[in-house]
Amino acid sequence: MGDLFGWLLVFTLLISLLAILSYQLMCLTDLEVDYINPYDSAARINMLVLPEFATQGILCIIYLITGHWFMFLLSLPYLHYNVGLYRRRQHLVDVTEIYSQLNGEKKQRLFKLCYLIILLVLCIFWLLWTVGEAHD
Amino acid sequence: MGSEAIFPLIGPSSSLRNGGVGWQGWRLGLLVEGILARDRIVGRIELKLFFWAKKMVSGEKILGRPSFSVRPSSAPPTATPFPSSGPLVGPEASSFRPTPPAPPQATGPFVSSGPPVGSDGSGFRPTAPLRFNDPSPKVHQHVLHPVGPPLVQPFASQVSTPPVSFRPQPPSVPMGFPAQRANFAPPSMNVPQAFSDSSFSAPRPSSQPSFTPVDSSYSSARATLQPPLPGYVNTQPNAVAQLPTMPSSYPSYPGSYVPPPPTSVSSFPAHQGGFAPPMSAATPPGMLSQHPGPPGGVMQGLAEEFSSLSFGSLPGSIEPGVDLKALPRPLEGDVEPNSFAEMYPLNCHSRYLRLTTTAIPNSSSLVSRWHLPLGAVVCPLAEAPSGEEVPIVNFASTGIIRCRRCRTYVNPYVTFTDAGRKWRCNICSLLNDVPGDYFAHLDATGRRIDLDQRPELTKGSVEFVAPTEYMVRPPMPPLYFFLIDVSISAIRSGMLEVVAETIKSCLDDLPGFPRTQIGFITYDSTIHFYNMKASNLDHLKISSLTQPQMMVVSDLDDIFVPLPDDLLVNLSESRSVVGTFLDSLPTMFQDNVNVESAFGPALKAAFMVMSRLGGKLLIFQNSLPSLGVGRLKLRGDDVRVYGTDKEHALRIPEDPFYKQMAADLTKFQIAVNVYAFSDKYTDIASLGTLAKYTGGQVYYYPNFLSSLHGAKLTHELSRDLTRETAWEAVMRVRCGKGIRFTSYHGNFMLRSTDLLALPAVDCDKAYAMQLSLEETLLSTQTVYFQVALLYTASCGERRIRIHTLSAPVVSDLSEMYRQADTGAIVSLFSRLAIEKTLSHKLEDARNAVQQRIVKALKEYRNLHAVQHRLGARMIYPESLKYLPLYGLALCKSTPLRGGYADAPLDERCAAGYTMMALPIKNLLKLLYPSLIRVDDFLLKPSGDVKELLDNMKRLPLAAESLDSRGLYIYDDGFRFVIWFGKMLPPDVAMNLLGQDFAAELSKVTLSTRDNEMSRKLSKILEGLRMIDLSYHQLCHLVRQGEQPREGFFLLVNLVEDQIGGSSGYMDWVLQIHRQVQQNP
Repeated sequence: MGDLFGWLLVFTLLISLLAILSYQLMCLTDLEVDYINPYDSAARINMLVLPEFATQGILCIIYLITGHWFMFLLSLPYLHYNVGLYRRRQHLVDVTEIYSQLNGEKKQRLFKLCYLIILLVLCIFWLLWTVGEAHD
Repeated sequence: MGSEAIFPLIGPSSSLRNGGVGWQGWRLGLLVEGILARDRIVGRIELKLFFWAKKMVSGEKILGRPSFSVRPSSAPPTATPFPSSGPLVGPEASSFRPTPPAPPQATGPFVSSGPPVGSDGSGFRPTAPLRFNDPSPKVHQHVLHPVGPPLVQPFASQVSTPPVSFRPQPPSVPMGFPAQRANFAPPSMNVPQAFSDSSFSAPRPSSQPSFTPVDSSYSSARATLQPPLPGYVNTQPNAVAQLPTMPSSYPSYPGSYVPPPPTSVSSFPAHQGGFAPPMSAATPPGMLSQHPGPPGGVMQGLAEEFSSLSFGSLPGSIEPGVDLKALPRPLEGDVEPNSFAEMYPLNCHSRYLRLTTTAIPNSSSLVSRWHLPLGAVVCPLAEAPSGEEVPIVNFASTGIIRCRRCRTYVNPYVTFTDAGRKWRCNICSLLNDVPGDYFAHLDATGRRIDLDQRPELTKGSVEFVAPTEYMVRPPMPPLYFFLIDVSISAIRSGMLEVVAETIKSCLDDLPGFPRTQIGFITYDSTIHFYNMKASNLDHLKISSLTQPQMMVVSDLDDIFVPLPDDLLVNLSESRSVVGTFLDSLPTMFQDNVNVESAFGPALKAAFMVMSRLGGKLLIFQNSLPSLGVGRLKLRGDDVRVYGTDKEHALRIPEDPFYKQMAADLTKFQIAVNVYAFSDKYTDIASLGTLAKYTGGQVYYYPNFLSSLHGAKLTHELSRDLTRETAWEAVMRVRCGKGIRFTSYHGNFMLRSTDLLALPAVDCDKAYAMQLSLEETLLSTQTVYFQVALLYTASCGERRIRIHTLSAPVVSDLSEMYRQADTGAIVSLFSRLAIEKTLSHKLEDARNAVQQRIVKALKEYRNLHAVQHRLGARMIYPESLKYLPLYGLALCKSTPLRGGYADAPLDERCAAGYTMMALPIKNLLKLLYPSLIRVDDFLLKPSGDVKELLDNMKRLPLAAESLDSRGLYIYDDGFRFVIWFGKMLPPDVAMNLLGQDFAAELSKVTLSTRDNEMSRKLSKILEGLRMIDLSYHQLCHLVRQGEQPREGFFLLVNLVEDQIGGSSGYMDWVLQIHRQVQQNP
């Protein structure tokens, strides 16, 4: 039962990560087509950068606690990348240079999004598996 | 603050707090400016206007222009300034020494404060000299057929003659034909088809006596030293003279081929063989080859449309065979492409807008083969000589005429149809209605009958007076705010005194009288505010202020502004108080021993004071910010970082505070100019960020001493204060369908993908941008560019300055090269390279410059290698002949040169910030400064200085140019270096320097002495300074052999020489040539 609960928790965390990333992507595309101004866009994105990193960190810890080391390994590159960004102080969007960074930032977030979707698929698989096992 | 103020649509009522108006201001400006008339945006404009109108009606804040008062808002009634400021006055307040009070100004505060220029609807400003006395049917022709003369086949005469090269070339070069096709005929087969043509049948007299038979082998040609051919010899004078002129070169080929006379239409004169070195000197015997072609080959050489540089020795050999003297040098300074302006007389002048190539490629594959930057350099407010000022047009009731769809402004290239009722936009070809007020009949040829009275339809540059739709707040008054460091180093260096004196002397010349506002903050470890409000406090029973009142705030963590409404005062009202303050400022702090600098908090305080109006913030910083937010630490003294991947971090701001602050400042229309003076490291990289993103400028005076550098500071500060400035501006460059500006480079901040926010612009700022093609193939014949700068003039009028330019679209790469503009290319190159140093190593940035030049020349070579026998020659288009040299100069310029030891970090960064904003002319002069010899002139008994300056003979920047018997002036636009040769006649030095002539020159200053020679020299220097006023050149005296001064001031800047690890001009050209010849 605890396993199922763990997977559900992972599932919600993944969904929230996906939501954060899609929101950030939306801000970037809005900026590109001139729906919002750079100040708003940068403020909105930066507001969610640290929550995103924290959520991802918690996700990794939960993988570890629940003993799914394979899933943990799978999400390790993401964590490593985030930590690297943070340590280089490049995690926040720079409002003054946002237009020149736009493509890079978008690419980075799209990549993260794909990555998370793969993780989500795996998670759903494990979730159903656990549910199936519990029934048996 | 927060998103509410930023996004007034969400929270309208709160948007007026904290200067929300300013934000809204640009936002509406942006929206109205908006290039995309998408429904959504139009909808927003209406919403916004509605909101604005509502506010006006509700009387929340009266925004209408006529009712605009000088004081933005009255002081809140609760403000009881003086009594309540008691506790704020710190111990320092006692150090304030009152000077004899000046009589209080009796003028009422608002007597003369009305907007000086009302919206009087006069159609034309009489001040603008409009010259419409030439009705010019040709102008009209251009309106109808903007394409101009045929461009596709400019070489009509030359296309018919196969451009086979018969220039002397080393036939023994084994790898001389890299791109030779298999079917390329051997020399004997090289008879061009056209030769059978009757036009070449003229009998050839014995002009080629020594011509070997066609089938003579190369070996024989190499073995014997043939006497030079007449034809070849004749070309030599041209080659040496560097600027071959077409007509003069024809007579040298007797009776062979009469070329069609060059017509004025063909703007592409053939530039043939500019720089072949004299054979006798430069080439080893074996190289003196024959023309391995049939009779008639000599004049075929004419058909080469490129310039070339012959290398006497094989590429790869150690000994360079090219004559150093024959290398091209830009000794005439910046030469603007004239032919283009002649072809399109309706274009704006090149001082405002220059394209890197005036032939726009028609396909993206062509763009990818053009390895140089494709873009433009814009200097929207460039100073025009008197008589050529931009005309001002007031449409008054008609409203400004713009295209409905793409928002292009009406310009000379629009066409009127339908009997004058409609006009077609030249950029998006939409058919627009002509407003009733603007209607005019068309005459038989289709031109408007009132064309002569319409400068907007006849001039490439024009200025419109913008109606109220282009503003959401009343046009701001010119505002100058000074943030002055008064710590001990500022006092010791004398900076404070010079600054105070200069500001005082400029008070009456500040633009925008009588609306100009002014304010001061000084800081060391505390922040000092000054209340300079004169009178107007009678209702509080306080006698009017004749002396400034100082308030000290020492809480740096939580800055608050005492008396927020009295710190900014109207200059015309408080003139005497401000004068008194500036008089007493140096004495006030003369005993200050404070070494700290609370720069960050002071900046925040200034921001809070200014955020209501915007304006110009001048920062005078003397030491590294050490207290409060934004404090910086020493960095950059670590040699080991250089050459590693961490190197670039030294050149970008360390603390995110500065970037954030810069963004906020721009948002509230504040431009920052940074004046830095320290003798120690001040982290210009961080401080300069403030200027970079606010459209400002960095002035750096290392080791400032008022006795030495005072004149420079005085001049540059007063120019900064008094030059015509455009306030709260936004700029957008529109261009025709299919192309788009993708990146922008310079000092500004992007507000939207293509909108540059410029809190303040002036004539000394230029902006560069790069183009890209959106469509794979352009179908149009001509592309139009339109620069629109919406700004508030100092007089309080909102204006739009429009520059329109058209350029042909070509499908031919060689045409692009022919029309290239080296100045614009170098300007873009340098901006790209400096930007690259912010994220890469210096070396990478330098290599990138070199690689791009190599790629471009390689492409050009491949273009011609098929038809021509290039051999070991280096070929390049005539238009780009200076590019390699400028590339070399760029690599040796202060921001890019060498490594750790070659330039102090601060100087590097300051130069980088400066070069990012420099207009093309100044940049080229900085890269390749002028070196002139003056001792002959000084010794001549008579001699007009003007004459000397007119026929100034600039020398190549190499040590060889320096004669030890001479006196030279080196001028890079920022400083003079006067070089005294070792064997200069002693009386010259004596006359110029007086008794100190034998002393060490670092301690000697040049002043005018009472003798002819000295007077002449100072006249020359004065004349050189008058050429360009944007910076003041200080004199540095250097004697030959006096190290390290000589090396530091002059030798390092002789770009053609080999200095340290960098290559000289010759090596550089050989390197490039070698890389060009390498197969891909």
